Amino acid sequence: MIEKARSPSAVLLLACFWLSPASATTDYRIETFTEGLEYPWSMAFLPDGRMLVTERGGRLRIIAASGQLQEQAVGGLPEIYATSQAGLLDVVLDPEFEQNQRIFFSYSYGDRSANNTRLASARLVDGQLQDVKTLFTALPAKAGSSHYGGRIAFLPDNSLLLTLGDGFDYREQAQDLSNHLGKIVRINRDGSVPEDNPFVDVKDAAPEVYSYGHRNVQGIVYAPQLKRVYSHEHGPRGGDELNLIKPGVNYGWPLITYGVDYNGAQISPYTELPGLEQPLLQWTPSVAPSSLMLYSGSGFKYWKGDLFASTLAEKSVRRIRMKNGMLAGQEVLFEELDERIRGVFGGPDGNIYLLTDNAEGRVLKVIPTE
Amino acid sequence: MPNNSRVLLQFVLAVLVTTLVGSILQTQYNLAQLQALGAPMPIDVRVETTCLDVLGFSPVFAILVLLGFACALPMAAWLSKKVPDARWMLFALAGALAIFLGLTLVNAVLPMPTFIGANRSFVGTLGLMASGSVGALFFAVRCRTAT
Repeated sequence: MIEKARSPSAVLLLACFWLSPASATTDYRIETFTEGLEYPWSMAFLPDGRMLVTERGGRLRIIAASGQLQEQAVGGLPEIYATSQAGLLDVVLDPEFEQNQRIFFSYSYGDRSANNTRLASARLVDGQLQDVKTLFTALPAKAGSSHYGGRIAFLPDNSLLLTLGDGFDYREQAQDLSNHLGKIVRINRDGSVPEDNPFVDVKDAAPEVYSYGHRNVQGIVYAPQLKRVYSHEHGPRGGDELNLIKPGVNYGWPLITYGVDYNGAQISPYTELPGLEQPLLQWTPSVAPSSLMLYSGSGFKYWKGDLFASTLAEKSVRRIRMKNGMLAGQEVLFEELDERIRGVFGGPDGNIYLLTDNAEGRVLKVIPTE
Repeated sequence: MPNNSRVLLQFVLAVLVTTLVGSILQTQYNLAQLQALGAPMPIDVRVETTCLDVLGFSPVFAILVLLGFACALPMAAWLSKKVPDARWMLFALAGALAIFLGLTLVNAVLPMPTFIGANRSFVGTLGLMASGSVGALFFAVRCRTAT
């Protein structure tokens, strides 16, 4: 039987969720903090107030605490395959950055006919990368330039999660544990595989796999208070998902989905099947979620503890309200910008920073005014 | 010679035949992939999904078929006058090539690597090309009957 229809109680529950009002209005103003970036993809805040920003085309840039963009890009990056969705992706600091100056970054490697996502680390010394190490290479190398995932999140034990994509043409591979397509992987900072990864003892499974059945995961965050990992992924036409990530769990793509193919064809007749995890929420029509942030700053007191998902198609940031560890409604923010938002980040100053997705990309700073 | 409106009608019908056959084939291809992953595929699910694709996918596919046939079928008709013995082969080939070239063009123009799921594999692509041959042969038969 096709599980498309929802029961009346489920519809009522959904309606309550969607119509739930924001707890309080929050006033803000948005300033351009930095401009002159070409398709910025991610950013990280350095302890001295500066920021690192990746540009998809393959440059790592430094922004001064004042917002001024350093003209010279950071040198020492490895060779990056940059075209379409491929390029330099995420950047995060080592949890012990102040001691080791180490950063982690994800990027696309290979060429048009054989490429995928790679994770590397390096020391940032005087605006240059030194001691660059490849930590993880997603396999197999596939053709085409779509769906790389690429977001990184650290867990409390200092292992890290890297999100990956299904490569678009290889969606069925998301169900095959022997490869990295359509997976979230977990590795240690030195590239080794944690002994307690869920599939380390499973014959023929790639030991790095943490969860599977994903399409293109471009947002992941660890919520320390709740000890949970949240992520979101792009659906096809509709069916973008927010998921609670648990080790070893199958999130269903492409066996179950709330979306259809871009050409209107059914990807799957099923939205639910036994053994496949349901999303916490799904967005149809697609919003195209591009990054996920848990706000823990003090600037926006009503937003503390909420999830924020930047979106490309909706040109907004979705605030996902959290109450007692449960989702408690959504609010669409920053639509007035009318720009594709590639990233949303909580700054150490309590402000929220946005990256706009275009050839004349900017860093925008959202400042509370109340 | 059949009159123009008769030929036009047969052309439209040929587009519809290929669209319907191609839509049904691509649905079965996609469902076979899911079945291979362990998804249950009872007949009611198969029929319902096929019908949904006829409604949701075939209008898009019809545009590709229409444009492909607008080039391929007149060319096949012209060539078959030159080589009457090869008429059926020429139409079958023209229909298949129309779909193949249409898919290639669409994949080159659109941002996604492969626009139609069945076009991701050799077998799936052959199936879609075969639907082009069926429609083109339908056109060849109907126009010959009308002569």
